[in-house]
Amino acid sequence: MIMIRSIVRPDKVDNVLAALMEAGFPAVTKISVVGRGKQRGIKIGEITYDEIPKELLLTVVPDQDKDYVIKTVIKAARTGVKGAFGDGKIFVTPVHEVYTISSGIKELPSGEIEEVKI
Amino acid sequence: MKEVMAIVRMNMMNKTKKALSEAGISSMTARDALGRGKGLVDCSLLEGAEKGYEEAIAQLGHSQRLIPKRILLIVVPGNLVDTTVKTIIKVNRTGKSGDGKIFVSPVMDSVSVRTGESGKTVLDEI
Repeated sequence: MIMIRSIVRPDKVDNVLAALMEAGFPAVTKISVVGRGKQRGIKIGEITYDEIPKELLLTVVPDQDKDYVIKTVIKAARTGVKGAFGDGKIFVTPVHEVYTISSGIKELPSGEIEEVKI
Repeated sequence: MKEVMAIVRMNMMNKTKKALSEAGISSMTARDALGRGKGLVDCSLLEGAEKGYEEAIAQLGHSQRLIPKRILLIVVPGNLVDTTVKTIIKVNRTGKSGDGKIFVSPVMDSVSVRTGESGKTVLDEI
């Protein structure tokens, strides 16, 4: 299992969510965040804005779907054809175990499924 | 060292906090989050799909609404992962969809900002 954390523009969120739904990955968690990137924020005249609002999307997917989901997000979150500064970043981290609370089912990356006894 | 990321119902937060501190896991970070799972369950749709109506089947799992949730981030030593997960499941389970998910991922190191020490001593211990 792999967790994909994508930081995208707030106005592209609906786009990305629709694209993910279309691609067959409906499960997403969204958090609003503020941050800056390599360009050190935006400088307009004398003022530097270095807390730019973005949305953080968390999705957990099976290992083999990683590239497909990343491509889907990139396609949906890019502005224009070439993209622009501030379109965001995607970070990929491993997840070792996934539990569904309502059923207590534990999933491992190997595909093994077992029920947790409480 | 592992990070337990749990997404739970908003109204379960107080109970979860209490149960976790009783289990000896006192440190955590919580945030508001919006999210969706495998899709809202609409009973009329399910019934229709069972009877074989294609319109109902086509609509299964289609919902754009995001539901407010709480997200808990807890970093624990490897031997406490099981207790943490079990406590969260025990408190939050209602058996209906929407109870949430728990993800366990590895953490390479943790450092305390105040003392500057790193490693397991930073985390909760029993």
